[in-house]
Amino acid sequence: MEKELDKVIEEVMSTPNVTGCLFADHQGLCLEAKGSAHVDSAGIIVALSEQACKIQPNLKPPTINLESDKNQCLIQRHGTITGAIYKQKT
Amino acid sequence: MDKIPDQVGYLVLTEDGAVLESGGELENDERVAAIVTELVTLSNRVDLVAFSSNDQFKKISITYDDHAFIICISNKKIYVVKRNLPKDLMIEGNTVSV
Repeated sequence: MEKELDKVIEEVMSTPNVTGCLFADHQGLCLEAKGSAHVDSAGIIVALSEQACKIQPNLKPPTINLESDKNQCLIQRHGTITGAIYKQKT
Repeated sequence: MDKIPDQVGYLVLTEDGAVLESGGELENDERVAAIVTELVTLSNRVDLVAFSSNDQFKKISITYDDHAFIICISNKKIYVVKRNLPKDLMIEGNTVSV
């Protein structure tokens, strides 16, 4: 399983402007973090995605986009796995 | 707020989640107000290495297939707008434009 995840992470990290990515399970435990993403953020990222899912629980999980002046963090949940991608704005 | 294109609902909240103004589909929607307040509180704690303290979050968008909630904070108030997405932005698998 780790090999599959490593492959995905490698693909994500090779995308332009991506500075980091993180994957966590439904309990908020970090599966893997690369680049500027910090392992300690896993819990909060999963909590954010869970909270956002509560807005319209009958629809499929939304994409959350946290934006600052220079960076953005995209969070999406897929099944029990939550992924976060940190990007630099162009 | 009524002038925002494709807006279908809005909320103006205090930092502790009390509804100051509301309209459209979000009129008096205290449930969404509570969830959004919690989201804002949580997002203040996402960090860390990637986002330094002088590069704080300015905007949160929650994007579904055909609509999105946009959350901003200004003057100690939380502004939430529910917008329908223009058809050309709708891509399968709720993608956001980046």
